[in-house]
Formats: sequence, C-alpha cells, structure tokens
Amino acid sequence: MQKNRELIKIFHGPQHPGITGNMSIELDLLGETIKGAKTHVGYLHRGFEKLVERRTIIQAFTIVCRICVPEPDPNEENFARAIENLAGIEISEKAKYIRTMVLEMARLSSLMLWMGGQSGSIGLGTIGQWSIYDRDLILDLFEELTGGRVYHMYIYPGGVRRELPDGFLGRLSQLLDHLEKRLPLYDNVFFENSTFKKRAIGVGVVNRDEALRNGYVGQVLRGCGIKRDVRRDNPYLVYEKLDFEIPTFDGCDVYARAMVRRQEIRESIKILRQVIEQMPTEGAIMQKIPKHRKFKIPKDDTFVAVESARGEYGFYMAGDGTEQIRRMQVKGPSLIHGFTLLENLLVDEELSNVALIMNSLGICPPEIER
Amino acid sequence: MIKILKKHYEIEEKGERLFKIYIKKEDLLKTIDFISLSSNFMTLSQISCADWIEDEIFTLNYILTTEKRDKNLMVETNIPRIESKLPTLLNIFPQAEVMERDLHEMYGIDFIGNHTLYDFALEDWKEIPPLRREFDTLKYVNEQFDFRAGREDNKDVKAEIKRRRAEAKRLKNAKK
Repeated sequence: MQKNRELIKIFHGPQHPGITGNMSIELDLLGETIKGAKTHVGYLHRGFEKLVERRTIIQAFTIVCRICVPEPDPNEENFARAIENLAGIEISEKAKYIRTMVLEMARLSSLMLWMGGQSGSIGLGTIGQWSIYDRDLILDLFEELTGGRVYHMYIYPGGVRRELPDGFLGRLSQLLDHLEKRLPLYDNVFFENSTFKKRAIGVGVVNRDEALRNGYVGQVLRGCGIKRDVRRDNPYLVYEKLDFEIPTFDGCDVYARAMVRRQEIRESIKILRQVIEQMPTEGAIMQKIPKHRKFKIPKDDTFVAVESARGEYGFYMAGDGTEQIRRMQVKGPSLIHGFTLLENLLVDEELSNVALIMNSLGICPPEIER
Repeated sequence: MIKILKKHYEIEEKGERLFKIYIKKEDLLKTIDFISLSSNFMTLSQISCADWIEDEIFTLNYILTTEKRDKNLMVETNIPRIESKLPTLLNIFPQAEVMERDLHEMYGIDFIGNHTLYDFALEDWKEIPPLRREFDTLKYVNEQFDFRAGREDNKDVKAEIKRRRAEAKRLKNAKK
C-alpha cells in the first residue's frame, strides 16, 4: 500500500469506540496520513422535528430531551423558553434559579462524560471509569430531583415540574465538595499527564479567523482565545446575577480545548455554589398556564439559545395559533463542527488522531440527526 | 450596527437582542452579502425552514449572529412550495453547505450553486421530502414496516380511553 503511494479508503465508525455516537467518517489515507475526510450521518435519525409537529406541547415535551443523549437539559430549556417567548409567559425567579442549577449540573455531568471519552480515545481508560463514577453521583441527584437519571423532563413551559426535595441543596453542596476534591486528581492523571500533552498539543489546530467567520462555538472558540459564551453575551435565566469567568486558551489545538473544559468544571462548581446561596426560599415554581389541550401557541416565530457544555445550542420555533408547534428546528454545535470543521481539520492528520480530534470538538451525532 | 441596517431595511425588534427583516427571495444573496459586510452580523448561525402548506409557501429564516455573538438577526424570505429554489450562500459562508444539504433533503428545496445536495441523513429516499407537511409519518411506517409479533391485540389508545370512560359511566349509573 505505502509502497505504491496509493490512497486507500476506510470508514471510521459508526461502530468504533473512538466515535462519539453513531456517525461515520470516510477517510482517504496515504499510509497513516489522512488526505480526505467526509462525514456521514443517518444511523440514528429519529425524526424528532417531524414528530413534534404532530403533538401537543406536553406530548412534544417528553421527546425533546432525547435529541442529545449526553446533555438533554439544554433541549428542555430551549423548548420551554421558546414557547414562553411566543406565548408571553414570564417565569418566577425561583424557577429561573432552579433551571440554572439544572443546566449547570447537566454541564458538569456532560464534562465528566467528555473526560471519559477524551481520555479513552488515547487509551487512558481508567480515567473514564473515575469520571463516569463522578458523573453517576450527579445523576443520583438528578434522579432525586426529577425522577430520571439521564432524561429528566423537568423544565416545562411556565417553570419546572417539581419543588426541590427537602435537603436537596445541602446534598448538592456535599457533592460539589467531593468533586472539588477530585479535581487535582484529574489534573494529575489527565490534564497534566505527559502522554495526553504529547498527543494533544499541536493537534487539530483551528484557524482563529475561520472560527469566528464559520460560526464555530463553545470550546472551539474559547480554545482559540476568543471569549464567547451565550451565558455572558446573550444572558438568560439568572446568569447576569452570577459571578463567573469565561476561560480561554490560545493554543487552538486539542489541548487548549481540553484546558478550557478543565477550567469550565471549576467555573460550573462556582456557579452552583452561588445558586445554592441565592436560591429563593419562597415563590411559585410554575406559572399558571393553560390546560395542555388548550395550550395554543400564537402565530409567530422566535430563536432562543443556551450555552450547552459543547457550545451555543439554539432552537428556532414557529407557532401557528394551534396547540401544535408548526416548526421546531434544532441548531446544535455538532452540525457545523461535524461537517464544516471536522472534514477540514482531519486533512493531513494521522489516523490515530481522528478520535482525539472528534472528541475535542464536542460532536454529538444524535443532535445532527434530530 | 442596527442603526446602519435601519437605514436600508424595516427592522422588527422581536426582543432585546433578536431582530428580524423581511426580504424578497430575489434579494436574498445581495441582502445577506450586504449585511455580513457592512454590519457586525458576520456569521451564519442557522438556516431554518417552516412549511406553510395552507399558503403554499416555505418560510426560510437565515439567522445571522454578530461577531460578539450577542445579537441575532433573522432574515426571512418566502418561496413557493412548488419548484422551490434559492441561491446558495456557500460563497459567503462555508457552513451553509451542510445546512442547505439538510434542507434540500427534508423539504426538497434546490439551492442553486450548491453541488453537494446529495444524501444527508436519509439513504436512497424516494418518498416526498419528509418534513413537508403532506408527508404522513404514520402512513409511511404502516406501509414500510411490519409490527413485531405479539402485538396483534394492540388497541387504539383514544378509542380505548373512550370505551373505558363510557363503561365507568354506565356502571356508575347502574349503581344509582
């Protein structure tokens, strides 16, 4: 093969441990070097956007969280906020705090999962076992709060569905103490690990100007030293009242993106501590909304977005004056990162770096095929 | 920034940080080009489409975002549902390629100048593009797939609820 200097074609995924979900990358290889890459999706198309159009709000609400498996809550928040915008519903201060808490817990959970995937992509499997254990502790609290571990169906138009259980904030605080104690451990075995540094520094370098122009988001931008975060730039819920930093690193490579995430775990813990401290003790968690069969959405449209653990995550939504949504379209980070960015970034990289680069971009295929 | 655009377009303020303009489909390319060069709305965040079958139109919204990512501008245009065509934005925004491919597959819209409008998430799809309103998901499923064995006694949920309610009412009346 190398002797003849001919290209060979291989498919990286959909059944590959280094692929973050059901997705395939068609690679043209010259030896171990990638000369062309093409992303293929369609292995997990469930047609959520179509299904939503034929359901009432409460029926649609149960499926939107399933659009992205590792991080379902931004879907719930976007869905609820888009409907609230269209229907003119203002939620209570307490509901805003609880939603912020849920979104930050989801961010922590997703970053822990990412750490497992990224470390696994270079053979550091043990780290994944530890971080997934810590993620499970967060899921325990989610189960207590919402009844579900992965899919929560908790954030509903008008507020949230259940009151905080007695002592919940105390248990959350204890969990944050535990996670903070674990962070130096993760630094030693992963972020400061020489194996990871050797593999990640200078790999998957994103062009800074393209990052802004092509609409890249999240850690891809912040890993290029560009301070962009929806929570600060286009604030929602109670983020304006909270004190937190937007970490940036200048490397533009896999390592810079990992270091951004490392710092984001700390910032997320900081946010949660403030939420616990400022959480209103009184107030309704749910506004009065029409009964679900009479909950009509005015004929209008809107666009809302949150900062998910992987970057800006938006929903376009149009109502038509009936109980059903005329159109709900998801805008996640993965579509642009998985096609426009990944296909270019892989060219001239080594085959062994495919999983590493893909993980660093925060691509979630289920969210492409919503 | 918005002031510059206000000189040229009628802008609807949909929120503190969300704006909208309405344009004709013929003006799409020059409008987006003008906005991306002359204002701070320098990147394309999403191309969304809604099917208004009763009006025989598709409504497309090109959502542009500022360099600081603090404001969004929706550029809305309508196109007929039959022989729906629009120019591609590929030469302005590379990310438009995959967004247009997605919409071509789901609605059958042709984006003139985009040569990669091949399969996206569906493979060898021969039916009506699935996000068009006239595509009936349930009918498609019933025609294409067989139900798993053991579900022969499946009941229609709505009919069953109705039957049970009527039965409960009948028993209640009988007790009286």
